[in-house]
Amino acid sequence: MKKKILLVEDERALCLLYEEELSREGYAVTAVTDAEAALAELERTAFDLIITDIRMPGRNGIELITEIMGLRKDIPIIINSAYQSYKEDFMTWAADAYVVKSASLDELKAQIRQLLGD
Amino acid sequence: MIEKYNILSPDFERDAPREMTLLSIISQSFFQPFSLEDNLLVILTALTSGSGVGFNRAMLFLKQGDRLRGEMWLGPRSAEEAGFIWEVLSTPGIGYIEIVEHNRALVSKNEDTLSRRLKGLVFAADEETALIPAYAACRKEILLVREAAHEPLVDKRFLDVIQVDEFLCIPLLARDEVLGEIVLDNAITRTPITPADIKLAGLCGLIAGNYIYSATLHRKLLDMEKMAAMGEMAMFVTHQLRNPIVAIGGFTDQLLQPDVSEDKQRRNLIIIRDEIRRLEDIIYQMGHFLKVSLKEPVYFDPGPALTAVFDSPEIQTKAQGYILKIKLEACLPEVLCDPTSFGEVVRNLLDNAFDATPAGGVITVRGYRKNSGRFILSVRDTGRGMSNPDKEQLFRPFFTTKEKGMGLGLPFIKRVMDTCGGKIEVQSRAGKGSLFKLIFLCRERGLTT
Repeated sequence: MKKKILLVEDERALCLLYEEELSREGYAVTAVTDAEAALAELERTAFDLIITDIRMPGRNGIELITEIMGLRKDIPIIINSAYQSYKEDFMTWAADAYVVKSASLDELKAQIRQLLGD
Repeated sequence: MIEKYNILSPDFERDAPREMTLLSIISQSFFQPFSLEDNLLVILTALTSGSGVGFNRAMLFLKQGDRLRGEMWLGPRSAEEAGFIWEVLSTPGIGYIEIVEHNRALVSKNEDTLSRRLKGLVFAADEETALIPAYAACRKEILLVREAAHEPLVDKRFLDVIQVDEFLCIPLLARDEVLGEIVLDNAITRTPITPADIKLAGLCGLIAGNYIYSATLHRKLLDMEKMAAMGEMAMFVTHQLRNPIVAIGGFTDQLLQPDVSEDKQRRNLIIIRDEIRRLEDIIYQMGHFLKVSLKEPVYFDPGPALTAVFDSPEIQTKAQGYILKIKLEACLPEVLCDPTSFGEVVRNLLDNAFDATPAGGVITVRGYRKNSGRFILSVRDTGRGMSNPDKEQLFRPFFTTKEKGMGLGLPFIKRVMDTCGGKIEVQSRAGKGSLFKLIFLCRERGLTT
């Protein structure tokens, strides 16, 4: 069975890129563009990992993480943000990894493998 | 029955008590988009205009560290010039704005003589060694000096410049802090300075001191806001640039992989091209926002500028599919603004209205006078409106509710309105639409200063 990843990213081009790249790595990726849709997906599907952006329209990634912690689903979370500075926000420490967006997806892929024990 | 009066009365009565006239000139000037220097000039004007206190000459010193530095000297250089100036200033219908304009010209004309001689002057302002004039500022006392030539406390260099026997020193104080000093004399008419003159001039000193204090605080606050905005901007730009760069990098990597289908190649190239355009757009907008330097506001007829915006191809194209109603007063007054920025401000507001409103919606532009001296240009839309938290953040750079927006339009508009002494007001209800009102200072057409 393919491991399931939930991707929360408001940039459509990035959604497409991550979806394709992570599928090539052998994961089943569900991409949504905001926190509301992410929470709806979480109710429907048991994911193995969540990747979320921080700055998004509506509720931001940190608020989403807080919600997910409340659900006690114990799914590893990777924050993938263009901002380095959010690392200082202690709420981001609740995530299992913080990867700053980069033109190379190598670091993100490495973190996914590590968290999923692949 | 209710009677309404305008807070600002643009002209003052010539036969009003001089105390009233004086306070009216000074307090009204603080409502004008004048610079700190201009407002200080207004205070000197009030002290020297025939209808104010009526001293012949007024000089201003500002305190810098432990020194008192000469800044401005207002007054006629000779009896002939005095006669001419006083005749101009007592012309019926002349208001304080005209007088300030006149004095501004006078001060710059006097650069060669009075003000320039004063500007070179610096006096030590420490309590131990200070001589008059700095002595008055150090002691925080109003001093009336008579027979100045025989007074050992008067600085001889100062006496050489002022060349009068009698003068009055008014320290400028705020919160127990010395900010400067005004020195007044009657060099032309040689009229003795009376106790009533001293009282009134002292009051002006208090107002001037508090004005300098609040203006300086305001400047510091603006600097702090600017620094905070710079930090926010750096963070925002990083984010804005990083997203397209990640997309460009990622899709380029895909192109470099073996056996990429032609369709995918084409799709990736289109994405890369679009993201590069987005980068260009971000760079253009940032550059525009940072570079736009506002010019001095002037009174001008807003009619042609408004027509140019309404008729522009950009607005015409956007207006298709909307109901755009334009209701302007038949005879528009002249508004006070930088004419170039005025057009951009209106275009920005219209853009926002179109962006917020679904096709078929109504956008209404109105232009009308309210309470003489104010012209209101409003843009109402029937779009999605805003919630209260959104409204509070509206004028912060980089805040946007649009999917593709930089959040620089409204901060720009606010900057323009602040610069011209105008205001922007917003009313909005989520789901119902928004009303933006630009409030400009205005005057009837054809008036010149």
